Amino acid sequence: MVDFQRILTALCEAQVRFVIIGGAAAAAHGSAFPTYDLDICYDRSRDNIGRLASALEPLHPRLRGVVNHLPFRLDAATIANGMNFTLSTDLGDIDLLGEVTGIGGYEEAKRLSLNLVLFGLECAVLSLGGLILSKRATGRPKDLLTLPEIEALREVDSQVKPESGPAETQNQDSVAGKRNEQEPSS
Amino acid sequence: MDKAQRDELIRLITSPPAGSKIAAAKEFGIDLTLLVRTLELTPTERLQQLAAAQAFFQDLRNAMKAASHG
Repeated sequence: MVDFQRILTALCEAQVRFVIIGGAAAAAHGSAFPTYDLDICYDRSRDNIGRLASALEPLHPRLRGVVNHLPFRLDAATIANGMNFTLSTDLGDIDLLGEVTGIGGYEEAKRLSLNLVLFGLECAVLSLGGLILSKRATGRPKDLLTLPEIEALREVDSQVKPESGPAETQNQDSVAGKRNEQEPSS
Repeated sequence: MDKAQRDELIRLITSPPAGSKIAAAKEFGIDLTLLVRTLELTPTERLQQLAAAQAFFQDLRNAMKAASHG
């Protein structure tokens, strides 16, 4: 189980620049598909990598799916020398992606995101359009399985929404639900 | 989501326009009625619901493991 609130709090308090992507982003938009980790796309700048490493260090990050006796330390150098990491932490599983298939790096993901207030924290969340781009590009069976629902959600978003903006903005804790840039057309 | 929006959502998912993405999802087998509930929640509530589902599935896995070793 992922403790979304505590992980997001740790990242936000450390002022890490990141965008929530993947299944958790889809869930934030209303997807009913479950997911078992938190995927984020992080800014690869040196200062941000340092903040990311410092934020995660107290959560005892370790590589997921490898034998425990392999030495591993997630510090700034490790992140700088790698790109994508699948981790387990004391607060649940988290995937760190420096690049997102079909989208690019943090800046591109940020442009395709919305700012939503989650647990009182303003977080960038990949838009439905961004999720569709990513899932189409990835093309894995598990992504293609969820794609029709996300495309339907996007259509619902365009047809059932208040005049002020996307469906998310009508929720009381998502007053900051403004788009960082127009979504790509489908 | 107010009542008019909820009614419009239910109309859309029960009788989606032909050729729409909603119709395609329904044809694909997605249970769109679940969206009525999730779209009524705030984004925070949606993540809380997801975490609760994760905990439930973990409990199920633990129970299955215990039963198979019992």
